[in-house]
Amino acid sequence: MSAVRAAVQSTTHSVVQGLNERVALQAAEWFFLLNSGEATAADQHRCAQWRAADPVHETAWQRAERVNQTFQMLPSALAMPTLGRQVRSDRRAAIKTLAVLLVAAPTGWWGWRLASASPWLADHRTQTGERRDVLLPDGTRLTLNTASAVDVVYDGTRRLLRLRAGEILIDTAPDSVASNHPAYRPFVVETQAGTMRALGTRFVVRQFDEADAWRAPGQGGSASNAEPARSQVAVLDGAVEIRPAENRDRIVVLRAGQQAVFTAAAVDPPGMLAPQADDWSRGILRATRMRLADFLAELARYRPGVLRCDPAVADLQISGVFQLRDTGPVLDSLPQALPVAVRYRTRYWVTVSAPDS
Amino acid sequence: MSVADPALHPHVRTLYREHHGWLQSWLRKKLGNAFDAADLAQDTFVRILGAPADTLEKAGDWPLQEPRAYLTVVAKRLMANLYRRRSLEQAYLDALAAVPEPVAPSPEQQAIILETLQQIDAMLDGLSQPVRAAFLLSQLEGLGYAEIAVQLAVSERTVKRYMTEAMARCILLCE
Repeated sequence: MSAVRAAVQSTTHSVVQGLNERVALQAAEWFFLLNSGEATAADQHRCAQWRAADPVHETAWQRAERVNQTFQMLPSALAMPTLGRQVRSDRRAAIKTLAVLLVAAPTGWWGWRLASASPWLADHRTQTGERRDVLLPDGTRLTLNTASAVDVVYDGTRRLLRLRAGEILIDTAPDSVASNHPAYRPFVVETQAGTMRALGTRFVVRQFDEADAWRAPGQGGSASNAEPARSQVAVLDGAVEIRPAENRDRIVVLRAGQQAVFTAAAVDPPGMLAPQADDWSRGILRATRMRLADFLAELARYRPGVLRCDPAVADLQISGVFQLRDTGPVLDSLPQALPVAVRYRTRYWVTVSAPDS
Repeated sequence: MSVADPALHPHVRTLYREHHGWLQSWLRKKLGNAFDAADLAQDTFVRILGAPADTLEKAGDWPLQEPRAYLTVVAKRLMANLYRRRSLEQAYLDALAAVPEPVAPSPEQQAIILETLQQIDAMLDGLSQPVRAAFLLSQLEGLGYAEIAVQLAVSERTVKRYMTEAMARCILLCE
C-alpha cells in the first residue's frame, strides 16, 4: 500500500536519545548567559564543562546556536509580521500580543538605525501615534511627539536633552540663577546634527530619521545611510543658538518666528516659522491647501505601517483640521473630500489613489 | 524511535481500510472542501504510522478500542497545522507587500525564507503568547530584556524565563 510506504519515508524526526526538556532548558540558560555579555570567565568555564560532560549537552548547545543563527538570517521586516501575526486559535491573547508587536513593527519595517544608542533605552519615549508631556526637574515642560525618544542629562553644569528620535516641544523654565551667574546651567538640546542652546524660550526640535527620508517627496527608493542626519528647529518664543556638530563655530541664532533645518556640517538659511509648527502638541494636524502627498506623509508619522500616495493624486490639495489621536477615520473620510479611493491591502499597508486606478 | 514498528503495519492497514472513507467525509464536513479533506485524511494515517513514541499521535494498544475517536484527534491536529500554515502564508504575503521593492528578497530567497518561517512557526506553536512575543521581540527585533519587560508588563526575570522556555522548545523540536 502506497500510503504506508510514503508514511515510513516521510518520518524524519531527528529524535536524539536523552535530549529531554531538562537538558534543553539547561542549554537555553547557558546559551543566553554566554550571549548576554555578562558572563564571567568562571561562567564560561562552567559552561564548557557542562557541554563536555555529555554528548547530549553538546547537541543541545549546537541546536541553540543553530536556532539563533536561523533567526539572525531572517529579515525582520518579513519575519516579525508573519510570526507575530494574530493566531486564530486563541483570539484574546493574540490581540494582546499583536498590540505589543505593532509597537515594535516600525523598527523592523524600516530598519531604523540611529547612530547613537538604541532609542528603546531612552529616558522618555513615545510609540507611534502616542504623545506625552513630561515635567523636568527644573520646571521645564517637555512634550514628546509620536515615535520619539529623549534622554535627560541634568548635572551641575548644564541641562542637556539628547533627542534620539522624533520630535519634542520644549518650554524652558529659567534656571534658578541668572544667566550671568557662575552657577548658571545652560539649557541645551543635542541631536545627531548638532546642539541647540535655548535663550529663554519655547521651541520645537525634530530629528529626521531614515523613514522620513524615504517618505520625503523627490527621494524615490529606500533610505540611504549616506544621507546626513538632519534636524529641524522651530522657535516659537525667545531665541535658540544652533551649533552644527562638525562646525561648532558656525553659530546661527534663530529668533521667535523662525525655523531652520541643519546637518552636522551646516545650517540651512532660516525660513519663516510654519504656523502649524506646534499643532501636534495639541493633537491636531492643520492643513491649508496642503498637497495630499505631504499631508499623507505627515499623517503617516502617527500610524504604524505604510501609508502610500499614488503620484496621480499627489498634487490634490486638502484643507482642514484633523485629529491625530486616531488616523483611521481621517483616512476613511478622504474620499468624501477629494476624488480619491483609500485601499487597505492590510491594516498596515494603505494606498490612497485615484478612484478607478 | 522515529520509524514505526513494522509490526504495526497490518493494524494500520486495517484501520485505513475500515475508516479512511469515514474520516475523509468527516474532514470534508469540517473543512468544507474535498481536496483538503482527501489530503488530510491521507496525512492522518501517515502521521499515525510515523509518530514518535512520546507524541500524542502514538496510539496505545493495537488494535484500537475507539479507532474513530483516535483518528479525529490526530486529524484535528493536522487541521490546526493546515490553518496555521495558511495563516502564516497570508501574513507573509501581506508583509512582503509592505517591503519597499528595492529591498525585497529575490524569489529564491523568498522560498527559503517562507520555508524557514513555517518551520519556526511550527516550533513556536503551543507556546503561550507572552512567551512567543518575548522571544520574537528579542530574536527578531533585537530588543533588550528590560524593554521587553516594559512592553509585556512583566519583570525582567520573567522575560528571561520566557526566553529560556522558548529556546528550550526550539532545541527540542528543531531538526
